[in-house]
Order: sequence, then C-alpha cells, then structure tokens
Amino acid sequence: MEITSFNLLLAVLIIAPVVFGVVAYLSPDKLRSMSIILCSVIVAAAGIMITIKPNNTFELPGSEMIATILEVAIVGIILYIAMTIKNWLILLMSLAQLGMIVAEIILAQTGHTVTHSYDFATDPLTKILILITSIVGPIIAIYAIGYMKSHQEHAPPTAASLGQFFFFFIAFLGFMNGLVMANNLKWFSFFWEATTLCSYMLIGQDGGESRKNAERALLINTFGGLAMVAGVLWLTVENKTESFEGLLAAKAVIPMVLLCVAAFTKSALLPFQSWLLGAMIAPTPVSALLHSATMVKAGSYLVLRVTPGFHDSPKVMMVITIIGALTFAGAALLAVTQSNAKRVLAYSTISNLGLVVACAGIGTPLAYAAALAIICFHAISKGLLFLCVGRIEQKIGSRDIEDMGGILYRMPVTTSVALIGMMSMLLPPFGMLLSKWMAIESTIRSPLILVFIILGSALTVFFWSKWIGRIQTSSYHPKFNKESIDPAMGFSLITLALGVLLTGLGSMWIFKEFLAPITKEVFAGRTDISEELWSVFNAAGNFAAVTLFVAVGIAFLAYWLLVWRRFKETDVRLPFLCGENAESTVYTTSAFHNSEGIRSYAFRSMGDKIENSWSSTTYLKNFISEKKVTIWLNLIAWVIIIILLGEAHLL
Amino acid sequence: MIEKINITQWIIIAVSLVAAPFIGALIAGLDRKVTARMQGRKGPPVIQPFYDIIKLFSKQPVALHKLQILYAFLHLVFMMLVVVFLAMGQDLLMILFAHAFSTICLVLGGMSVRSPYSRIGSLRKIMQMLAYEPILILIIVAIYLQTDSFLAGSVMSMSKPMLWSMPLLFLSFLCAVAIKLNKSPFDVSTSHHAHQEIVKGITIEYAGPYLGIIEIAHFYETAILFFIIMMFWQTNLYIGFGLETLAFLAILILDNTFSRLTTTWMLKYMWSIPLFLSIANIIWLWSK
Amino acid sequence: MFNAVSKSPWVVHFNCNSCNGCDIEFLACLTPHYDVERFGILHIGNPKHADVLVVTGSVNNRNARVLQNVYNQIPDPKVVVAMGVCTSSGGVFAGCYNILGNVDLVIPVDVFVPGCPPRPEAMIDGIVKAVGILERKRKGEIFPTAPKPLCKFKPSEEQSTEKTAIKEEKTV
Repeated sequence: MEITSFNLLLAVLIIAPVVFGVVAYLSPDKLRSMSIILCSVIVAAAGIMITIKPNNTFELPGSEMIATILEVAIVGIILYIAMTIKNWLILLMSLAQLGMIVAEIILAQTGHTVTHSYDFATDPLTKILILITSIVGPIIAIYAIGYMKSHQEHAPPTAASLGQFFFFFIAFLGFMNGLVMANNLKWFSFFWEATTLCSYMLIGQDGGESRKNAERALLINTFGGLAMVAGVLWLTVENKTESFEGLLAAKAVIPMVLLCVAAFTKSALLPFQSWLLGAMIAPTPVSALLHSATMVKAGSYLVLRVTPGFHDSPKVMMVITIIGALTFAGAALLAVTQSNAKRVLAYSTISNLGLVVACAGIGTPLAYAAALAIICFHAISKGLLFLCVGRIEQKIGSRDIEDMGGILYRMPVTTSVALIGMMSMLLPPFGMLLSKWMAIESTIRSPLILVFIILGSALTVFFWSKWIGRIQTSSYHPKFNKESIDPAMGFSLITLALGVLLTGLGSMWIFKEFLAPITKEVFAGRTDISEELWSVFNAAGNFAAVTLFVAVGIAFLAYWLLVWRRFKETDVRLPFLCGENAESTVYTTSAFHNSEGIRSYAFRSMGDKIENSWSSTTYLKNFISEKKVTIWLNLIAWVIIIILLGEAHLL
Repeated sequence: MIEKINITQWIIIAVSLVAAPFIGALIAGLDRKVTARMQGRKGPPVIQPFYDIIKLFSKQPVALHKLQILYAFLHLVFMMLVVVFLAMGQDLLMILFAHAFSTICLVLGGMSVRSPYSRIGSLRKIMQMLAYEPILILIIVAIYLQTDSFLAGSVMSMSKPMLWSMPLLFLSFLCAVAIKLNKSPFDVSTSHHAHQEIVKGITIEYAGPYLGIIEIAHFYETAILFFIIMMFWQTNLYIGFGLETLAFLAILILDNTFSRLTTTWMLKYMWSIPLFLSIANIIWLWSK
Repeated sequence: MFNAVSKSPWVVHFNCNSCNGCDIEFLACLTPHYDVERFGILHIGNPKHADVLVVTGSVNNRNARVLQNVYNQIPDPKVVVAMGVCTSSGGVFAGCYNILGNVDLVIPVDVFVPGCPPRPEAMIDGIVKAVGILERKRKGEIFPTAPKPLCKFKPSEEQSTEKTAIKEEKTV
C-alpha cells in the first residue's frame, strides 16, 4: 500500500472528521468553533479534489480483520445501548446480528474462501454523494455552531453536552463518506451501523422525551441493519463474494432484496417512516444534515447502486418501484394535513426519497438520471429549508406554519432565503422540477406508477403553495427591518441559497456534464435498452431552464422599471374588510397592528367593539385523518414488502 | 436554444404574442354577449373587454404593497411564455409547468396581502389546481403514447384527429377548462360576475393597471385553452374551429344553468369521475 | 388614450341605512328589462375595482366612517352618485336624531338622484350624468368641492374599552 494522493484524500475524507470530532469533544467552546471550521474547509477541499481525480480503487491490507473488529465493536455498542434502555427487541436483533457476524468469522476460519475485491473505490455515483456530504455537510456544521449556541441556553437539564453533540455531528461526516466509498460490504455495513449510532445519539440530544424517539429510530434502523448483515452473510455463503462488484456480477437476487429492505428502513420509506417523523424532535442542524441531506440518502444510494444489475428480475424491480411510488404519493397526501413545519419537511423528504427509489426501480437511463438529479437538488434545497425553519423557530418561538405570517418584515433575509428554498422545491426553472419532469417522462410506459407520480406531484404543489403563501404575508412598510443574524448561520443560509440559485440556473449544464455521462457509463453495454429509451433520454436536453430564468428576469425588470420607483405611499390602501377596518391609518410603523399579531384581521363589530378574525389554511383534516391514512398505507406497504420477499423466494 | 430560432419562428412568436390577448378578449366579449342573449337582454358590445382594459390602465395605481404587484407581473410574463412555447412547439410538460408557475404566482400574490377574502380565494385556487392538474398531465401522456414524443408540434403528425382516440380525455379536459375559466359550478375562487361570497376572491386587492395586467393574462389563458381545444381536431382546422365553438357554447350553458358549488365537491368530483374516465382512456391507449 | 372610462364604468353600491327601496330599484336596473350592462356597467362588489360609488340611504354617525373607508379605497378618477332623497336631505327621516342626512357631509357627491325611490330610468339617467363627469375628471378638470364639516363621529380610539386596547408591538 503506497501513499498516493488518492489514498491520502480517502483517508482525509473518512478519518479526518472523526479526529476533528474527538478534538471538538475535548476542546472548550472557542477552540471548538475553530476546529469545526478547519474541519469543514479540509473536508470540502478533499471532497472537491477527489471528485476531480479520475476513478480509482483502494485496497487496505488486513482489512478483513479490521472491518470485522469494527463491525463487532459497533454492534456491541448498540447491544450495550439496548441493554441500558431495556429495549428487548433491539437487544434481540443486535444479538442476531452479532451471531451472523460470528458465523461469518467461523466460516472464514474454516477455510471458506471468498473472492477478494478492492475495499474502497470512487466512481461517478460515489462522487456525487461525496460532493454532497463534503460541501453541504460542512455548511450545515458551520450553521450548527451558531444555532447550538442559543439552543443550549434553552436546553433542558437532561440535554447532552455540546462536546458530545459535535463529536457525533462531525464524525458522522466521515462515516458517511466511508459509506459511499465502500465497495467491500463488510466496511459498508460497519459505516451503515455507525451512521445509525450517530443518528441515535443526535436525536436524543435534548434528553427526556426525545429519548423515546431516538429509541424508535434505533429500532427501525437496527431492523435494517439486521437485514443487511443477513444479506451479506447469504452473499458470502452462497456466492462466495463480499463486495458490490461481486453482488452485481453474481446477480444474486436474495441478498439484493435484503439490502433493499435495509435501504428502505434507512430512507424511511413506507412502512418504516415513523422514525423520521419522530426524529424531527432533534435540533434543526441534525434534521438538516442527517435526516434530509445525507444519511437518508444512503438508503437511496444503496438502491441506485444495486438495481442496475438486476434488470433480469423485472418483477422484483416492479415491486421496488411500486413501494417508491406509493411512498411518494402517500407522504405527499399526509404532508397536506400537517401544520408543524418540520413534519411537513419530513414528509416531503420521505416523499422525494420514495420518488428516487421508484426511479431507480424503473431501470431506464432517463429514470436513473432522474433519480440522480433528485438526490442532488433535493439535498441542497431541503438542507436549506431546514436551516431556515430552525432560524425562524428561534426567532418567533414556534414551529407552526400558522405563526409564520409577517416574518417578511421582521427577518427579510431569512424569509427571502426560505422563499428561494421553497420555490426551488416545486417551481420551474429550478432543479427539482427538472428531476420531476424527467421522472414523469420516464414512467410513461407504466400507467400505475404514472398515476401515483401525477397525484403525488399535484399534492406537492398544494402543500408547498400553502406554506409559501403564509410565509410572505405582510403589510406595507416603507422600509425593511435590518435583521441581526448570527454570522455563522447567516453564512450558511446565504451560501446554500446561492447554491440553489446557481444549480438551478445551471441545471441543464449539470445534467449534460455530470448526470448524462454517469448514466451512459452505468448503462454501457446494455443491449436490452431500446433506441427509443435512449432518444427520450437525449431529448431531456430540451428543458428550457435558461429561458425560464430569462422570463423571471424580464418580469423583475418590468416590475423595477414600472413600479418600484413609482410606487408612492399615497398609493397604499387598506385591505377590503367591508369598510370596517379597525386600523385608522394605512399602516403603522410597528410590526403588528393588534394584540394577536399579524395572524388576524381586526375589524369593528357590533357596538363598535374591535374583534379579531382569523383565516387559517386548509389542512383537509376532515377528509384525511393522519392516523387512519398512515395505518392503511402501512398495511399496504407491508403487504408489498412481503410480496418483495416472496419474489426473492425468501418466503 | 435561442440561437436555433430562425426568422420565421421569431415572426410566428411575435404574431402569436400580439394576437393571443386580442383573441382571448374577443372570446370573453362573446361570452358576455351570448350570456346576455341567453338571459333575454341585449348585453354589452363584443369589444367591451377592450374598453375595460383601456379604462383599467387609466386608473390610479393603488395597491396594498409592492410585492403583490411583482406577482402580477410574473403571472403575466409566464402566461406569455406559455404562448411562446406553444408557438415554438416545445415540450408539453414544460408548457404545463410554466402554466402552473403562472397560476401559482397569482395565488401567491393573493396570499401576500393581509386580506381575508384574498386569502380564501387563493386557497380555493390552489384546490382548483389540485383538481385539474392530473387530467392535464394525463392528456400529455396520451399524446406521448400515440406519437412517442413530448413535443407540441408532434400532434400535427398524427393521421387521425385526437378526438377520435381521446374522447374521454376531451370531456375531462372540458371540465378542466371550465375550472380554469372560473365558470359555475367551479367559480369558487373568483369570477367575472357580480359579488361572490368572497367578493372577487383572489383579485380583490388589485386595482387599476395591476388588475389590467391580470385581465390580460386571463385573456392569454383563454386563448391558449381554446387553441388546445381546437387542436383536438388538428387534421382539419375548420372542423377544429367548429369543435371550439361547440365547446364554447357547452361551457357557457354549463355556466348559466349551474350555480356555484363547494370546493370540496369540486375536488371530490374531479378526482372521481373525470379522473377515472381519463385513466380508462390512457389504459385503452396503452394497451393498443 | 381615447375615452374608455365612459364605455366601461364599474359600479360599487353602498347602502348606508336605506329602507332598501332604492337598492331594489337599482338592482332592477341590472335585470333584462332595463339592462345597464349594455353600457358596459358592471355591478362590482369591490371598491378597488370600481369607478362609480352608488350610495343609498341617509348617512348616520356609525357608517360615516365606513363610507369614508370605502370611498378612500376607490382609485381615482371616481364619482359618487347619491340615489334617493334620503341621501340629499334625509327624506322622510329628515331631522331625526340618529342620522346625518346629507351624504355630501361625508364624501363629495357628484350627482344627486331624487325620488323615493327613484325610477330605474331616473337612476340610469343619473349614472349617465355621473359617467360624463367621470370622463371630464379623467381628462383633468378639477371639480371644486365644498370643504367638509368635520364628521360628528369621533375617531375610534376614544371609544375603545379596556378589552379592545391595541397594543403596539415592539420593533425587533
């Protein structure tokens, strides 16, 4: 093993965050911020450099032993946690995992040979995820510096220390990088379990009530871990290989299905979505990093990596697609009923992950490219939105959408950034719409999936528009308020917002330069892909992103020329409340007009009494009861999972 | 993409951009005239909408704040963009998304002001979008299944009129058009007639030239919708014109005989009967 | 710009405290028998879209403020047509303790249409006169209006009770 620059970068990407995490744990506050910023810069630089380099592989001598020891250690830690919190289910599953790992060790000792392959590798799919983890991740870490300062002031006494928080937060970046670069399945499952552990510790940060949610997350993710270890064991025994390369070459259906089930738990698809909803109780940087931008993408990454090799099992692929599509539509339906901002974001994340899995299951080049595009654009947009919601929550003290009216005047910068983020989730010309467009075009030949996707995207428009509308309600103010924002948080928000705008502007360029070549490489040599499918893929270049931006620019220009400079204060009028407005002047210099704030309209009622009326948004709670719909969706999803296992001849 | 357009296409784009609001205004004027005749009175002249627009632009520009005006501009620009895309025969899903952007800008403009009627009108408009959007996407899917292309120009290459292969989709599309033009029984968010229960809904806080902008965008939308109806018989545009007239009369009769029903009824209705008819049509096309 | 205001005057109708007689006659103008829509007149419910404000009923202390609010929301150029004799002098209620009587005390009126109630033809005549004045206003002719006596109705703040005290929100 020689020290090449590739190996060095690899080591930096995986080990440096862990080291810096220990430093952050041990150091006092000032030094901690410095070390986090230093770590961010190093990781980002390393990520970009390794992306520019050509694809390479890396083999670690003695990795078998190291990986096994680490795996045993991690499962042991989870076992210990299960014993302390007295959750027998997790205990049983961890014991089963441990048993399987021990069985593997025994097999290796008794001469069962396994074909070796390289341990770590970078290929284009890996590079995309490395970029996301190494660029978006550190930005969120910098945000966390500012956010946790004030969070810790209001934290309950059961909260863990900031040192522990940042240890797991920063070390997670290393684990995630290792997960996407691992080719050897032993290393992969070690990193998988490590991210589960990080997630557990970070969700339970505030202690008390959040421990229950953390336990639930641990339970479902350990179930996934069990499925993964079982799959790896099967692969080792039956096909005598233990790498992704070997899995795809051997076309082993059973391990693939087990790995997919593990992926479903990590990505919180139906029926495993309850842990992600409970995880929203964690501090906002955790939600941004783990539960929207990176960790839950690990599951969809896994599906994207294994499905290209299994086009010979159309039934299995079809079932995977159905689960993804059902999640997409179902989570969008449930998001309509939510008024808690973080739950809306959580359901939206689940929905988009379902779409990724559905596209991966369809298996055509365009669908694959669509899945990649969703992963890229969703990571940036959703991370940005979580950061904005965190900042808004700190300012107004509430997570409810209904309380977010009138923030346009109080925090113009944050609100504009939040508006950019939300518009990027559903409007052209941003990247998410490009990916949804490609997804719809790729599901043309399967009517059932198409119907789900159409219904899902209509519902998506619904719940996002409600929220965007509420956030930018305001009255007339001659000048905007100057917003005082913590520099770390401000830096992250502005950087991500710029990222959203730039990737939106360059979405076609990204598609042509990155996603198209990756897709062509993945599907190279596939004789079963027809000409027609390739032509649809090439026609995806017709998305007129630049024209749409130009149109937006024209509208802004016309507005600036004709209205902005000419609009006078004498042109402002009161809203129409049948003449009974209670405000005597057109606007007040203070932010609110009446005691209930900007939510309500004060009008003069009988006896000249001033009453407040209030119009809320529609949540359709009479038609969609979250509990009932969740029960039905979970039931259907479990049936589909059982069908999936049956297709793989496991049941 | 701009560099690929030659001079003929530029002329077509310019002509359609200028002609579309005129056509839309004439259709709106005819609407009022025929409605009046149906009610036994004389009604305004057919060019009344032009007088309305000119009058609106001579009024004092009042508003509640500046942001809502920006949304009115975005609404108009994107509706014009839809016309441009249609004239260039672009990807149909793109056209649909640009149209959705335009409607969402109008909705956001309504929600950006602190006015209860405006807010309720905007929420109802979103529910209208929720009701008709699946049908529009299904129409595009049906066109793809028959021509293997998403481009708008590809329908001209079909040998038979679209109405023959997509009859159920056409009926559902008529319901969608009725919703978009705010005709009873779907005029829950705003309407051209007198007081609504929410007094003009979305457009309540727009006045003078800004209301004029929204009206012009509405003319563009009318022209686009009726153009698409005409395209359902694309092999013979004269018969297409007749189809358009029949559809116009049908929507008018629907408007004058029905009274306004609730938003939830509209959602339930559109997501049951027209949606199932459309899906049936798609499955029939897919299995052919 | 050629005169389009006279081709498309939109009317908003406000009932101060009328007995509804004038209102019924006004709405009768919209029916097929009289059909004002052929002149382009639309009965709009919203002052921001309107050009002509039609007032019925004699103003009283309570709805003077409301009438001024609605009048202020109408963009220029605008005219006010006061229908019925109640609007000019109080009609049969003249001299009562609870009414102000003359709408001109509250907002500048351009056309008075006497009658109790006035016939639809008289109403249409009044509106046509008002539209003529509207056209001249659009061209820029200034119409002198008498200075208004202060409204007898006191501003709202002095009449609030403790329950309805408006708190000022601190700026951030």
